[in-house]
Amino acid sequence: MMDVGRHPRIKLLAYSEVEEISGYVGNFRARIRRKARYIREEDCTACGDCAKVCPVVKPDEYQQGFSSRKAVHIPFPQAVPSAYLIRKEDCLGLNPIACGKCAEACEKKCMDYDMSDRFLELEVGVIVVATGMEPFDPATVAEYGYRRYPNVISSMEFERLICAGGPTEGHFLRPGDGSRPKRIGFIQCVGSRSRKDGQLFCSNICCMNTVKDTLLLADHYPDTESTVFYTDIRAFGKGFEDLYQRSREVGVQYVRGLPGEIREDSKTGNLLVRAENGSTGRLEDHEFDLMVLSVGFTPQNGNGKIHKLLTLSHTSDGFLLESHPKLKPVDAPTKGVFFAGTCEAPKDIKDSVTQAGAASARAGILLSAGKVKIEAITSRLIAEKCTGCNVCVKACPYSAILPGDAKKKIPVSIVEACCSGCGTCAASCRFDAIEMRHFTDNQIYSQMDAILEENPREKIVTFACNWCSYAGGDFAGVSRLAYPASSRLIRTMCSGRVTEDFIYHAFRKGAAMVLVSGCHFADCHYINANRWTQRRVDHAWDRLEKLKIRPERLQLEWISAAEGQKFAKVMRELDEIRKTVTIEEVQDTIAALSKPGK
Amino acid sequence: MGVKTFESVSIQVSQVQPHFYGHVYQRTRAQGAELSPVQEQQHTQDEGRQVMRVNFDFKEELAATLEGASVNLCYQCGACTGDCPSARFHKDFNPREIMLKVLLGMRDDLIREDSIIWNCSSCYNCHERCPQSVKPVEIIIELKNLLAREGIFPKGVKETVEAIKKTGRSTIVTDYTHKMRESLGLPPLTSCEPGELSRILEP
Repeated sequence: MMDVGRHPRIKLLAYSEVEEISGYVGNFRARIRRKARYIREEDCTACGDCAKVCPVVKPDEYQQGFSSRKAVHIPFPQAVPSAYLIRKEDCLGLNPIACGKCAEACEKKCMDYDMSDRFLELEVGVIVVATGMEPFDPATVAEYGYRRYPNVISSMEFERLICAGGPTEGHFLRPGDGSRPKRIGFIQCVGSRSRKDGQLFCSNICCMNTVKDTLLLADHYPDTESTVFYTDIRAFGKGFEDLYQRSREVGVQYVRGLPGEIREDSKTGNLLVRAENGSTGRLEDHEFDLMVLSVGFTPQNGNGKIHKLLTLSHTSDGFLLESHPKLKPVDAPTKGVFFAGTCEAPKDIKDSVTQAGAASARAGILLSAGKVKIEAITSRLIAEKCTGCNVCVKACPYSAILPGDAKKKIPVSIVEACCSGCGTCAASCRFDAIEMRHFTDNQIYSQMDAILEENPREKIVTFACNWCSYAGGDFAGVSRLAYPASSRLIRTMCSGRVTEDFIYHAFRKGAAMVLVSGCHFADCHYINANRWTQRRVDHAWDRLEKLKIRPERLQLEWISAAEGQKFAKVMRELDEIRKTVTIEEVQDTIAALSKPGK
Repeated sequence: MGVKTFESVSIQVSQVQPHFYGHVYQRTRAQGAELSPVQEQQHTQDEGRQVMRVNFDFKEELAATLEGASVNLCYQCGACTGDCPSARFHKDFNPREIMLKVLLGMRDDLIREDSIIWNCSSCYNCHERCPQSVKPVEIIIELKNLLAREGIFPKGVKETVEAIKKTGRSTIVTDYTHKMRESLGLPPLTSCEPGELSRILEP
């Protein structure tokens, strides 16, 4: 961190918040709030005289509340810049000045109580998101008695207690009575892999953290007896299994089985635990001086703000969604934005460093080129047709369309550098004011016309998105799965490209059935464009019902690239429905849809 | 526990029906993990062979009941057993093991005359503790229902049912009960006809 602070080409803005980001790859504008420190950081020598006289005592967040800090403090000893700051919310009063002792104590006169938040406008080419994650609060797991029993601590607190720079200066003491604990129990998976408390996912680092902790204890205090209660020890990384085996060799007991609850012996403050030993199938009673809850992690709460700032989405577990899980693991779906560390998924230090390296290298590619190459498939505005209704602005998953104004007759404008070419905007425009390059309306209508030229009643017009469903069909073919020959595929980049009128056009031309298919919701290659597909198809179903057309003739299926089997199955099922479509039905449909005004 | 490929199962099903009792696999000790599907009738007590039977039907039979499907989520962490009061006093009672037996389809171990499951006191501790939201008590109750349907239940349960049928009360009221109530200053017990209850109890 010191190196970062000293680097001539790195500008470190500590104690600051990003308020607003506009623009696009290569041309981002960021508005940054530099929070008032009330101390001029360039003058502060971090002598600490101010903290000595400050009368306000608060629990120290960095030391997990085990020691105290003042209202004027330095967040942690290695903080960069090495300068004190006043916490406004803790201070007795800055305006009017209630105490002012720190200003009197400061020899260099760096105090500036009238300081206010400053704003900084930055022009940046790329953005790396590294917002981290938060430890799970084990107090919600009532049966483990965290906060109720002083000698039940979390693994984060353990780190402070064993640290030489911690509140006990490295003497490992238990919080209850300050004595040195000899029998220590660890419980794994607190807040991880749970449907009840915390998160469903495996937090990835807690197993190895506990293994490391047991080795630290064995090293510092060879007479400690450590017992680890676990569900599965996941020692998957380089050298991890080795470390785990070493921990077993030094005599750490690993018990497969989680305790049901922790009870406290009120006289001694010791903790009583009953757990089943999975290897013997017997219930065992244990007594410990200290219990450590190995807590999992939750996605950073502030992530919601980042989502809005950079139009990002997240997976169902709350971590930020990458552009592609295998091929673009550090790229955000928004161009020019990259991820590093645990904002993307729980990971350890090594993986975070690896990802940070990858993210900066990816950023370097863009910055050194100075130009971006974009796919030729983008949307194009026909300005004279645009009414400025801004429907497309809402539809665009990338915020690539800048709003227009319907009253002032200002059309929208498309930032092509942001456009990924899904075509959701073109599908949502009711005035044909947006045209897609390479997947034009004309091309798609012509394909439909050609498909339905002969025997349309035997055809299923299938719209398949380029990334999943078309590839799924391909996979079905490569796997030599048999399915009826009635389907005719029309490729679109995204299922969100499918306008309702495409569907009606197919029916008007006498198609027996129409299938719209795309990626599963979580897999959409255009962030969430296929949600619009769902909405459009829902709407089309309603309309078909009103026109007394069987809604089953329009189908919506999510088929991924790996689901060749499903593709074939869907095709077989649809062919069964297709066989039930009669000539009269098709004629009625054509008549109903050809009525003027429909 | 047998590792299987999808293909082998489907072949197996077509070969062994209609007397197919789940999916049967054998493991030859000398060959290590070499697995092949066999018919149940062929090898049960073969020397030198360990036959592992995974009866998926049992799990599905339970999944069809009201709360039984949750058993599929069990990852055998043992939090249920760690907090089970019955396990404390009965060394063979182990809710985790019962879940495992359900998953492995060891029906005969659970659905039998002196089944261990009657030791469950239905305290719902395991239900509270389970990180995977498995409902062990509900599953055990479903197992009890299965047993009862086959007419197997312990004497105590039988007596309770009979008592409810006759008197509408789960315990038998004796003269001593009346005396006890009188001494405690409680009002005398009114009659409690089973009424519509008896219809539920009809087989």
